[in-house]
Amino acid sequence: MATSIAGPVFRTGTKELYLPAANITFLRGRDPHHARFQVPLWFSKMDIRDYLWHCYGVETLSTRSYVKLTPVRPLPGHTPRRWHRKKSRKFMTVELARPFVWPAEPEDLSEWNADSVQMASKEQSKFQDAQGTTKDTIVNEERRERMREQAKALLEGKTKWKPAAKTFGTEIYSRQR
Amino acid sequence: MHCTARTLLSGVLTPSLTRPTTLPPSFLLPALQTASFTSTPNPLARKKRKARKDNNPQRGQSALHRTGLKNEKLSVSLAHLPQPVLDPRQRSTVEVDVDHGLWDFFPADRSCMATPADLSAHGRAWTVGELRNKDWDDLHRLWWVCIKEMNRIKTFAAERERIGNMYGAHESEKRIVEVKNTMKAIKHTLTERWYAWDNARNAAMEDDEINMYADLDNGEAAYIPKAEEEQNLAESTPAVDSTLPPPSNQPPQQETRA
Repeated sequence: MATSIAGPVFRTGTKELYLPAANITFLRGRDPHHARFQVPLWFSKMDIRDYLWHCYGVETLSTRSYVKLTPVRPLPGHTPRRWHRKKSRKFMTVELARPFVWPAEPEDLSEWNADSVQMASKEQSKFQDAQGTTKDTIVNEERRERMREQAKALLEGKTKWKPAAKTFGTEIYSRQR
Repeated sequence: MHCTARTLLSGVLTPSLTRPTTLPPSFLLPALQTASFTSTPNPLARKKRKARKDNNPQRGQSALHRTGLKNEKLSVSLAHLPQPVLDPRQRSTVEVDVDHGLWDFFPADRSCMATPADLSAHGRAWTVGELRNKDWDDLHRLWWVCIKEMNRIKTFAAERERIGNMYGAHESEKRIVEVKNTMKAIKHTLTERWYAWDNARNAAMEDDEINMYADLDNGEAAYIPKAEEEQNLAESTPAVDSTLPPPSNQPPQQETRA
């Protein structure tokens, strides 16, 4: 599958792998002379060099590798004080022999329904905030406005204050949240 | 402390160490190679620093405190250094080759990722029954098609996640399922094929008519039918008693069944 007849400048590995199952993810970058990939954790620099050469015909000059540690987080669910670290991720940046520029980001994202997804996620986060532990800190501006209008009408004498309704001798307090 | 005689005597054997204190950057080298036409000392020539007693000519130079070039005279001033082009629009554009291998990470129209409609435009996975008719080269090729397809799907997913708030994850997962089923079917077919080969090998080891150690490249036959073998033996060894009547090679008479 290699495009160049002369072969790469590096020595390829001699172990023959017929059905490898490793997947790599090409990540967007700015530098046309470098390409960044997310690779399996067991991948070595020689692995990605030979993988790109045999599978894609891409010649690389050098490789940089970085393992990104995930932060320690509490376990999901109702398990307090149980901490867990998810699997790290490995990234490799290769120097390309032939430069490559990523295609431009699409300007119109309506094919992906980006607007509706964004509105939905905003609504969802709003709802989650109203259910969360800090829900008492959320100020309902709309209710404040309504109270202000009621107070103003009362002061101007447009409406008259009535005491709470009495039914069967007990007071029923109705409070609108 | 490990000391050899060589390291101990190095100060005595090498009379004077006159190394350049700091080398200028490589792009300044042509500027430094100026032919002098006067006998006056070149002002650009670097002064040889007196060797200190600790034999460290770089004493007092610090990268942190920017004291590296304090006593050095360069042929160019810092004002004449090349300036980086900070505006990306003014930089020269890079021409990408049409046959660059990294295009295989992108859709056929060479946009940066596939739309959900494109992602869901796929059929079913290959079944084991279909793959049984394929030879190893076809299966191998199909495996690598699957690997590249998975890489492509994952690249689209990473790009979607980078932009954020986009549909397409569901379609992407549905496509991954079909690709993985194809890969499973390939492995299934090859495993079946291996067991078929292993069963045949075991059967051959128990069969007298088959020579497991035949050298097929030199024309030796692996399958030697028994009747032929006996005939060969009979031809090679002459009959012991020629007075006996020849054996009747008549086939057994067919049984008549009621």
